[in-house]
Amino acid sequence: MNRLKDKQILITGASRGLGRELALDFARQGASAIVLTSRRAEDLEEIKEEIAGIAPETGVRIVAADLSRPEEIERLVATALSEFGGRLDVLVNNASVLGPTPMPFLLDYPLEDFREVLNVNLIAPFLLIKKALPAMIERGGSIINVTSDAGRNGYPGWGAYGISKFGIEGMSETWAAELEDSEVRVNRVDPGDMNTRMHRDAEPDEDPAEWSDPADVTEVFIYLASDESKGVSGRRFQAQEENWGLEEDLPSVETVAGGK
Amino acid sequence: MSGAPFAFQLPEDLMAKEPPERRGIGRDQVRLLVIDRKAKKRLHTRFDRVGDFLGEGDLIVFNSSRTLPAALKGCAAERAPCIEARLAEHLPDDTWLVLLLCEKGDPFACGLRAGMEINFGEDLTGKVIERDERIPRLWRIGFSQSGTELVDTIYRLGQPVRYEYVSAPWDLDYYQTVYAQEPGSAEMPSAGRAFTWKLLFELRRRGVETAYIVLHTGLSSYMDDDLDALHPAGEEEYFIGPDAASKINRARREGRRVIAVGTTVVRALESAADENGLVASAHAYTRLRITESHRLKTVSGLLTGMHEPEASHLDLLTAFLPPEEIRGAYLEAVERKYLWHEFGDLNLII
Repeated sequence: MNRLKDKQILITGASRGLGRELALDFARQGASAIVLTSRRAEDLEEIKEEIAGIAPETGVRIVAADLSRPEEIERLVATALSEFGGRLDVLVNNASVLGPTPMPFLLDYPLEDFREVLNVNLIAPFLLIKKALPAMIERGGSIINVTSDAGRNGYPGWGAYGISKFGIEGMSETWAAELEDSEVRVNRVDPGDMNTRMHRDAEPDEDPAEWSDPADVTEVFIYLASDESKGVSGRRFQAQEENWGLEEDLPSVETVAGGK
Repeated sequence: MSGAPFAFQLPEDLMAKEPPERRGIGRDQVRLLVIDRKAKKRLHTRFDRVGDFLGEGDLIVFNSSRTLPAALKGCAAERAPCIEARLAEHLPDDTWLVLLLCEKGDPFACGLRAGMEINFGEDLTGKVIERDERIPRLWRIGFSQSGTELVDTIYRLGQPVRYEYVSAPWDLDYYQTVYAQEPGSAEMPSAGRAFTWKLLFELRRRGVETAYIVLHTGLSSYMDDDLDALHPAGEEEYFIGPDAASKINRARREGRRVIAVGTTVVRALESAADENGLVASAHAYTRLRITESHRLKTVSGLLTGMHEPEASHLDLLTAFLPPEEIRGAYLEAVERKYLWHEFGDLNLII
């Protein structure tokens, strides 16, 4: 239960769904400090209390931030690095917004909404990585970007969201290539279909019972946040697929993934 | 009193008013004046070619302190007087030294006094405790928040400290180095501003080693010409971590060069150094003033900005070079229209 011992972790979009489960599981795995961010601080208070109950050793700092605004990202990173004493081990870019619902076709997509979705889902992760990297580059670290099947396949109606995830896919590869000479690894994870509010909003006619509980897809994130994944970068993981959807086994994946 | 090695006139048009990226060049394309002490020569080049003067085994030490938006607006009770508070220094007892400037009229004549309570908004108040003895324009203030909570609020409320020579209210981002980490500086440690990650990776590939320390910078001006002319040395907080200390000591023992990026790094390392130039990891405060008589123990080279005629940093250069050589270099820089200040050109002394 100590796979993340001494790790200092920043998670965006931590108030519910996958981000919430990641915060809880990272704490269970012994993370020393977690900065949780979401638009509203009060949404994070409950999860902070929950962590205090299950992992009292894990320090939790709540930072409310609107990721669509660049100056808020500077504040978030500065506050996190102040909390962490200048060292960050793991950044999880999880926050995303769906855009308007019901989801309009691109032809009908209002420009303002399109921009908002790209700001939160693509520009914010870019800025967060850019600003957080200095605190990782000397000692190494792990950046985990949450992507989606909609980032590989175009689906009608998934408009700006899908396009932002296409961007995340490419951005993850570019970062990984630029950081090849460093100890910082950049990977992306497609968590698959999950029973989250966002997914229910996106597909109200589908049966959410068929989708996974976000609590059941965290294993790959723990692997990527931990030292077990050292040297693994530029890869795409599918949380709900066999062998995490990898074509070949990575050095240390086999043993860990085998236990899924 | 002027401790500076010489005086010269800095023409106004040599003050960098915009960041290089807003002057149509890359951040690493500012000019570089190289002073090679061994070869006894000076040459002029561009900063992105700095690698030509560095080699395998050199250790470059950076100050990774992040710039705070250290200028906060607030008003005393009953909305008067309203002031701008510039955070200068975080003291060990968790109070701060702060430059208080009146918003209207004479910057110091609006009844600033001990006991005043200033309301900054976002639930942040500051109680003025007393005037600083060494630097009388500074006041010691106790804030209603501390630690990470205070940092968060400072970022919500503050603006970067800007001086009158800049042409626009540039965003905080322009006042950060690309490698900035922990927040705490009142002003950008600007000697490293021109580095890009591309350049840093390239240097690393060439076998140049890098280390990071933190020295939270204070203010460069107290907005009082007479006081600034005395350039009183503030006390600054610094951290040298075990990784940086061991890299520095290894380089020293192996006779490799230790090149400081910025006078802040010189101050921190020379403060922490023992007689043999070795440093221990430390979290301390320094008031060390480096002048011609200082024997450099750890640092063997310096990358720095161009300093103002009266700046104490110019004194610091005399620990590296005789005053007449600095004078010659500076006259040449003025003649060649080098740019001064945080967005300006750079000087490498090796």
